[in-house]
Amino acid sequence: MWKEIAKFGKKLVDGGYLSSHFGNISVRVGDSITVTRSGSMLDEITEASVVTVDLHKPSSLDLIASSETIVHREIYKRTSALAVIHAHCPFAVVESLLNDGSIEPYDSEGKFFFHEIPIVTGNIGTKELAENVATSLEQHKGCIVKAHGTFAVGKILEEAYVHTTMMEHSSKIKYYCDLTKNK
Amino acid sequence: MLIYIAIYIEKFSNKRVKIPKIYKRKPLKVTLYKNQKEIRLPHIEKVLTVDLAKDKIRAENIQKEIASNYIGGRGIGVKLLFDMLSPNIDPLSDENILIFATGPVTGTIVPLSGRHVVVSKSPLTGTIFDSSAGGFFGRELRRSGFDVVIIKGASEKPVYLEIDDGHVDIKDARDLWGKNVRETTSFLSKDGFKVSCIGKAGEKLILMSSIMSEYTHACGRGGLGAVMGSKKLKAFRVKGSRDINISDEEKMKKYVAESMRLLNASPVASKGLAYYGTPSLVNLINTMRIMPTDNFRKVHFENAYKVSGEYIAENYDIKKKTCYNCFIACKREDKKRGIELPEYETIAMFGPNSMNDDIEKIIQANLICNDYGVDTISAGSTVSCYLELEGGNDIETPLKEIVEGGPLSEGSLRYSKRKGKEGSSMSVKGLEIPGYDPRGVLGLALSYATSNRGACHLRAYMVAPEILGKPKLIDRLSFSGKSGLIQIFQNISAGIHSLVMCQFSSFALSEEEYSNLLSAAVGEKYTSEEFIRMGERIYNLERLFNIREDISYSHDTLPERFFAEDRISKEEFDSVLDEYYVYRGWNKGVPTKEKLDSLGLKKEAKFLVERDS
Ligand code: SF4
Repeated sequence: MWKEIAKFGKKLVDGGYLSSHFGNISVRVGDSITVTRSGSMLDEITEASVVTVDLHKPSSLDLIASSETIVHREIYKRTSALAVIHAHCPFAVVESLLNDGSIEPYDSEGKFFFHEIPIVTGNIGTKELAENVATSLEQHKGCIVKAHGTFAVGKILEEAYVHTTMMEHSSKIKYYCDLTKNK
Repeated sequence: MLIYIAIYIEKFSNKRVKIPKIYKRKPLKVTLYKNQKEIRLPHIEKVLTVDLAKDKIRAENIQKEIASNYIGGRGIGVKLLFDMLSPNIDPLSDENILIFATGPVTGTIVPLSGRHVVVSKSPLTGTIFDSSAGGFFGRELRRSGFDVVIIKGASEKPVYLEIDDGHVDIKDARDLWGKNVRETTSFLSKDGFKVSCIGKAGEKLILMSSIMSEYTHACGRGGLGAVMGSKKLKAFRVKGSRDINISDEEKMKKYVAESMRLLNASPVASKGLAYYGTPSLVNLINTMRIMPTDNFRKVHFENAYKVSGEYIAENYDIKKKTCYNCFIACKREDKKRGIELPEYETIAMFGPNSMNDDIEKIIQANLICNDYGVDTISAGSTVSCYLELEGGNDIETPLKEIVEGGPLSEGSLRYSKRKGKEGSSMSVKGLEIPGYDPRGVLGLALSYATSNRGACHLRAYMVAPEILGKPKLIDRLSFSGKSGLIQIFQNISAGIHSLVMCQFSSFALSEEEYSNLLSAAVGEKYTSEEFIRMGERIYNLERLFNIREDISYSHDTLPERFFAEDRISKEEFDSVLDEYYVYRGWNKGVPTKEKLDSLGLKKEAKFLVERDS
């Protein structure tokens, strides 16, 4: 499973969706979550860079798991997602700072995929953030945490990856369009 | 003569559905057969049960909880059947119940929404069974003032049920008994009625009998036509003029526009199926080497092109046919002869799987099955099984034996058991496997095995991701990640079948669009997750029904043929099955108390507690 995580970690960094440390990836395996470790570089994932933690409750291994594991766990508990990607995508963060509530993509793919992209609030690694993100993902395929980054879900990792890149793409198009319009 | 018939109307709450005009104009009139006693319903929220065996007529209020938790179609059918049926009854006895159900989007502006569902205990599998058909019958049923009709008991003499714009009548069908589907439908569809009926197969209680709507749309699988025949109910015809209410029309328009955009952009829905219909799969499936051939003994058929969608398009003058409100129009007719052409599954079974490359013979087999009212998948697979055991390649003789009620008509499992060759029945839980060899599509393999109604490709429509790459292509030759995926797809499909929408919508739509359409239809917000959860509840309740019938986890498997030569490793299969149970929250195929409590199925699971104490 770590190989699949490594594959999409590298794609995210190579594609400029985040810089090496700023994001985390997980997949659900039965009653467990395999998640990237805190401080791991997403473009250099090895078997040692992931850790498997309990789906239902925090365990001692949470100590070395990503600090956002609390959000990943809440998403898996509340939704049928089997993969989650969190990424600090730059344009998505910019759009979350410029808008409240949600953004509506201008581009046709974004409209197809999302209809709208919710913006949620909450401090990093908190229960409040976990709840807000999970609630939003009960209805949507992805959301942006204000000033922070995207959370995307999928039934497979590739789907979560597509949702992440689509959110960033739609944010970028919207940003440039608004910039041009407001000139 | 006592006629034991009940009509059970489930309506959504006041909040969800306005009382239709027809009931304000005129109270519902139910005319009972023979004694002409009438009951008048003050409004649609009443549930009417007419039980002539007990000489009892009952009108009662809808339970809002059922409407909210099971929404319609398969869901409501499963819930009602679970509550009303005693365990271990003979499916062909008058104790069995047949439920015709529509859903909250049936017959509305929602695309691909013309379907209806029939739910009963299957005489073929002994499991709970839902079977659905397209066409226009479902929409007409709703327009006639009813969403769900439950038929209980059995008449002594042949009858048909008629609903004419709110008026319900049971009519004499003695003159129709002994006639096939075409003749029956053509007689009863006069004056604008839409007709569902059985042919001679259903009358003879053939275990793979279908219920045919408007000549060619089949509630094909599971032998529910035989249940109808056991009640001496030849047909059910409906006509109506009532508007079908949508709670939030503005939102519905928006969600329908979004759904249409996605459907139009989907190459499978708007191109592949729209060009060649489902036979477009023949060459693709054959190229992937998953074509059932020679009763699943091979995976590739040399002459597949001669029975393919392309071949049909080149050699026949084709007319497209469709169901209500569907632009895909995947059905095909031979314009010259005015006859329906077979779908992919029928071609796979009567063609490659029976080593037959004569498309004309398949067309004729399809016509015979539709006219007698027989499931083409089970019939075709049983023919293939017969040819394996008896030799030869003549599909006509065994098919004749099936439709006329000979020993073969009991299906491949019973037939092969009698021959001492059970391994030649390519079935799961007694239901014949459709046209995709599970050895080359491992998600589908797990889905066949864990399906509550037996081998079915529509329970978790893995054809979409594993074969067509929708929404994402996944490795069809690996079990990795499939256990989690299958249960989600099974839950989503249960939701789609409860809305009720055509499965092909899932090439383009996801739980997000389905939950939006549902919310606008009923006026209550359902999130994507609530939609999936509703499907999960239905799946678990079906499982409980089967457990109550002593169908255990040992039935969650595949025919031995697929494990031979390690084409599917039994060890790996068993481990993935265990993993699937973990995702489901089941213990050896039985839902755990925690899972049942979380789905609100405590009451329904009481028998489990009593059984285990
Ligand atoms: S896709 Fe085919 S089966 Fe489905 S609703 Fe359309 S015509 Fe009917």
